[in-house]
Amino acid sequence: MTTIQAALSGILLGGLYALMAAGVSVTWGVLRIINLAHFGMILLGAYLTFELATAWRVNPLVTLVVSVPAMFVLGGALQWAFDYLRVSELNSLLITFGLLIVVVQSVSNVWSADFQRMAAEVNPYATESVRVGRFVFPVPTLLAFAIALLVILGAHLVLRRTFIGRALRAYAEDRPIAAAFGIDHRRIGVLLAAVTGATAAVAGMLFSLANALTPATAFEWFGTVFAVVILGGIGHLVGTLAAGVLVGLLSSVVSVVLSPATAPFVLFSAIVLALILRPQGLFTVGATR
Amino acid sequence: MLEIRQLDAFYGDAQALWGVTMDVHDGETVAVLGTNGAGKSTLVNAVAGLHAKRSGRISVGGRDVAALPAHKVCEYGVAVVPEGRRVFPGMSVYDNLCLGAYRRTARAEYRKGLDRVHDIFPRLRQRTGQLAGSLSGGEQQMLAIGRALMAKPTLLLLDEPSLGLAPVMTDEVFEAIEAVNAQGVSVLLVEQDVDRALEAASRGYLLAEGRVAGAGTSAELRASDTVQRSVLGI
Ligand SMILES: Nc1ncnc2c1ncn2[C@@H]1O[C@H](COP(=O)(O)OP(=O)(O)OP(=O)(O)O)[C@@H](O)[C@H]1O
Ligand SMILES: [Mg+2]
Repeated sequence: MTTIQAALSGILLGGLYALMAAGVSVTWGVLRIINLAHFGMILLGAYLTFELATAWRVNPLVTLVVSVPAMFVLGGALQWAFDYLRVSELNSLLITFGLLIVVVQSVSNVWSADFQRMAAEVNPYATESVRVGRFVFPVPTLLAFAIALLVILGAHLVLRRTFIGRALRAYAEDRPIAAAFGIDHRRIGVLLAAVTGATAAVAGMLFSLANALTPATAFEWFGTVFAVVILGGIGHLVGTLAAGVLVGLLSSVVSVVLSPATAPFVLFSAIVLALILRPQGLFTVGATR
Repeated sequence: MLEIRQLDAFYGDAQALWGVTMDVHDGETVAVLGTNGAGKSTLVNAVAGLHAKRSGRISVGGRDVAALPAHKVCEYGVAVVPEGRRVFPGMSVYDNLCLGAYRRTARAEYRKGLDRVHDIFPRLRQRTGQLAGSLSGGEQQMLAIGRALMAKPTLLLLDEPSLGLAPVMTDEVFEAIEAVNAQGVSVLLVEQDVDRALEAASRGYLLAEGRVAGAGTSAELRASDTVQRSVLGI
């Protein structure tokens, strides 16, 4: 009973992991930028939601009208700078890790390192839950799962079916030839990173619905979400979604059946095993990057 | 259509093209012959904007493109069928073709473009959902040409389209090139297969060690000793 409940909760939680991972995965796959600053943007998004919902006394979803454009601009600007400075894949890892630390520290300075939680009167979802038979699902988790699913599947369709999506895939496969067919690397790079930034704002908002915020959380996401990125296959959105659900499920079930402290151990052992068996990601059919 | 004047190109400090001057007039097919390492691909890439270290003048339809990056050169109606085909292997045949129509003027009419390409290469219609990487070499070459045609080019650059193809496939590819040219597209055709190239082209240039070593009509080049010696090794 509790195991099944844990499994279902884990699956729902996995949706949010997948949403956090999607941005990292696609910018890595297409732009060859390993953007750890993405976790900083999720953190900023979460705190923006917290701050604005508290200050304006509005529903946290409404704060997206500010946080989405803000992260859109920030994400695009960062990529513009990376492109301008011709940052390589490896250097991007170092630079964005530095940026992540700067963001975490700045957030601590502004909002303190203490846990902060949206007041119950602005966050109508915090304590609500939906009961299905004997199972209970908190509304924030359901909402996070539904929105994550929508964003990821929407992005997947854009990548598959539109001219800009094909351009991104082509650019990921062969940059010079993509350029020869009219693809301006700076334009599509900045656009992609901006959209990715917007998804960070959404993920941050969703996280803040159910959780108290503290700056160091960004480093916790880093471990789990990076695992989702790798398992899903770099640049593969549907794989990322599946990997998010799998990681959420696994860590939640292990926490209940064994203990919360064993969850990371089991999780990362499983990941190492998975990488040995399927280095291209668990769900990729024929590796493309 | 295409005017190249005193074009130099470099790989680092090593010079690969030396003062190359050549023309392709409107609606013409012009062959560029030369042995391995003569600089043929460097020439194609320099025109397409894929080779950054170049100097000299390259004008397409009267506009200077010598300093432009590839994505801008594309906007002026230049499409390339690169050496080794370079289709996007993880994308479907359909997606590869649509990608060819990425540039603004072509995108609006991509459906017409698809019909046109499918008429020339019916085989691509049957393969539409298949990943480009799983096609045979000949089919990939058709796809590379089809992709370039989707861009509605006024100038088509072909780099050794017959490379590695069986004779039947080569026939089909050359028929397609002639059909495209008949529709008014100017063609710069790089080839090592001298006979076929000169059959498809009205004129040609001989490239040797990065320099233009000869020029003339197809008939003149066919009869030329220099061509026989330097390309056929006779
Ligand atoms: N990436 C590179 N770096 C350094 N030198 C290069 C590079 N590519 C080509 N070259 C040199 O430039 C010269 C011209 O090469 P290019 O590829 O243009 O010849 P090609 O006529 O296309 O030959 P092939 O028939 O083999 O395709 C050669 O001497 C070659 O060694
Ligand atoms: Mg070549």
